[in-house]
Amino acid sequence: MNITLIKTIPNILKFPAANSARLLHLTAVSNKNQAGRYKNTPRKNFPLTYEMANPPHQIAHRKSWNSWNTSNVEGGNRPSETAVEDQFIRKFVQGTWHALFVSEIIIKRQHNLIRIAGLVHRGVMPRKMYFLIGYTEEFLSFWLQCPIKMELQSVADKRHVVFKYV
Amino acid sequence: MNTLRLLVPRIISRRASTLSHNNNATSQIEAPVVSDKLIKTLELEVRGNEPAVIKSFCKFAVTAGNHFGLETKSWSLKKPVHERYTVLKSVHIYKKHRVQYETRTYYAFLQYHKLTGSTADTLLEYVERNLPEGVALKATKVEVQEMPEHLH
Amino acid sequence: MMNLSRNIERVPFRSIEKQLVASYCNSSPQTQTKQEEFRALNIRNVKDPFQTRRRLQKTAVFPPRADQMPVDQDWGSVWPGPRSFHPATVPLPVRQGFTEKGAPPPNKFNNAELMKIPNFLHLTPPVIKRQCEALKKFCTPWPKALDNEDKIQKNFPIEVISSDYCYSSPTIRDPMARIITVKFKLASLKLDDRARDKFLRLVGPRYNEENDTVTIVTDRCPLKKQNYDYAMYLVTALFHESKKVEPWEEMKSEADMEIYCWENNASKKNIEALFGCKSEEIPNAAEYSEAVSHYMNEGENDYTISKYGEAVKKLLKLQGTN
Repeated sequence: MNITLIKTIPNILKFPAANSARLLHLTAVSNKNQAGRYKNTPRKNFPLTYEMANPPHQIAHRKSWNSWNTSNVEGGNRPSETAVEDQFIRKFVQGTWHALFVSEIIIKRQHNLIRIAGLVHRGVMPRKMYFLIGYTEEFLSFWLQCPIKMELQSVADKRHVVFKYV
Repeated sequence: MNTLRLLVPRIISRRASTLSHNNNATSQIEAPVVSDKLIKTLELEVRGNEPAVIKSFCKFAVTAGNHFGLETKSWSLKKPVHERYTVLKSVHIYKKHRVQYETRTYYAFLQYHKLTGSTADTLLEYVERNLPEGVALKATKVEVQEMPEHLH
Repeated sequence: MMNLSRNIERVPFRSIEKQLVASYCNSSPQTQTKQEEFRALNIRNVKDPFQTRRRLQKTAVFPPRADQMPVDQDWGSVWPGPRSFHPATVPLPVRQGFTEKGAPPPNKFNNAELMKIPNFLHLTPPVIKRQCEALKKFCTPWPKALDNEDKIQKNFPIEVISSDYCYSSPTIRDPMARIITVKFKLASLKLDDRARDKFLRLVGPRYNEENDTVTIVTDRCPLKKQNYDYAMYLVTALFHESKKVEPWEEMKSEADMEIYCWENNASKKNIEALFGCKSEEIPNAAEYSEAVSHYMNEGENDYTISKYGEAVKKLLKLQGTN
């Protein structure tokens, strides 16, 4: 038994490349659209907001954009700057209003004014919320050199924004 | 209203300078009397991604023009301009699988006829200030002028 | 081997640790204050059972303002400027959103879709009217005398075209706004033929023959005013340059002419010699001169030749002979 084993090992080692090629199993890449789409959970208890319930190809049909600016019209100005700034605003607001935003952050740019809109959960005292509004407006306007306006709507319960469960 | 507050000082100061010219004989510096410009047509080209917003804006601009007593008309392009951006779905390979991103630009045009310079300034200021988000505007003025004296 | 030794070490320590923490936690707060100098290190992060979580004070939330609004209120002062949609301020039962069939669309509360779309609630028709009335005092009427296109064209022949741009960006400057276009009809400059010819040579492709318009576009200066001044300077320079007659221009002989001009040519002299009078007095001379010019300028083809033949017959009164 032992002897046979020893005998077979060199045989395998003889053609390492050929063997490994046969062992590697290749299939075509699964190029399925999966960004922004949510799968059903077994218990159907995963909450989705209206925004999440509609996949990206429904933008401009069932749901509209989260960023409103003139960068994407034909001949629009500063597309890259706008994208980077929007991402920065989103990160900053998400972090500052930690676990309070229950919708996507909507950024609307009118002339040099930036409006930040969204739904906020009434998780903190109103006084704190007013502080956060002032804090966010002040800091963002300092960094972006634009007037910033926060136009929020408060939500009593997080379940109120749930559109459906998957 | 922002529009009004910002408009007032500029134009009042213009008026004030002409008033001082008439009444104050003792004033040393006299503002030169500048005759108003004549603008034959003022054309606004409105561009945006959302046709409904553009439509509402055009309606507003036409209404404003009519209230100013101007000859106003608006029209829009039937079809939007599609700008497509095609990239590979995977990062580097699989040339057969692509994703296409598309931006649609809707156009609308507005025309005001026969305005004076101050009317055009006031109207433009009012209309531009009420430009909604995500809409770009290009205002083209066609000003008519007399032939300068040295060209007679 | 290593793993084994580690596990052996751990087992007793863990139990000791547990005891320590438990004893500390179970001790009453009075004993804590007594021996304040030593505090047990809470390695396992065991929570103090006495610590109660502070309850969030629920503040009273007022009912939506829209419920108390009178029907005949002044909407312009409720919603004075552009703003994102707020359901508590808008007394309209709007709904927005797509649902599977049968279900009603989501209502205005907690609806992010309504906040996204730019609204025109601050621009209702009565508000526009009121604001326009207020703005009208800054306007001046268009002069009544200039009621049609011809009069404008006659009195104000120069058109200056400029554009302003409005984008969403931190700056209001747009480099494209500097471009100035100056247009005018060449006829309005009242140039004579020689000057006109020179003017056309100077402007080159900027002249459009179809509508007799000269278009000058300037974009080389950074500001609109500078470009305008430059354009007007160009017009002036072109005008005076075309009026000027250089000494070498006088030397232009018949061979240098780019088009055939009957007036200056031998054909006219020959006719005058033949008829013995001025060309203006000869009947049908105008037609003949036109035919000759056409023939010389356009080249030899059936049309020009037959036209020339007819003109010659008319001039020499050879009608009827074939």
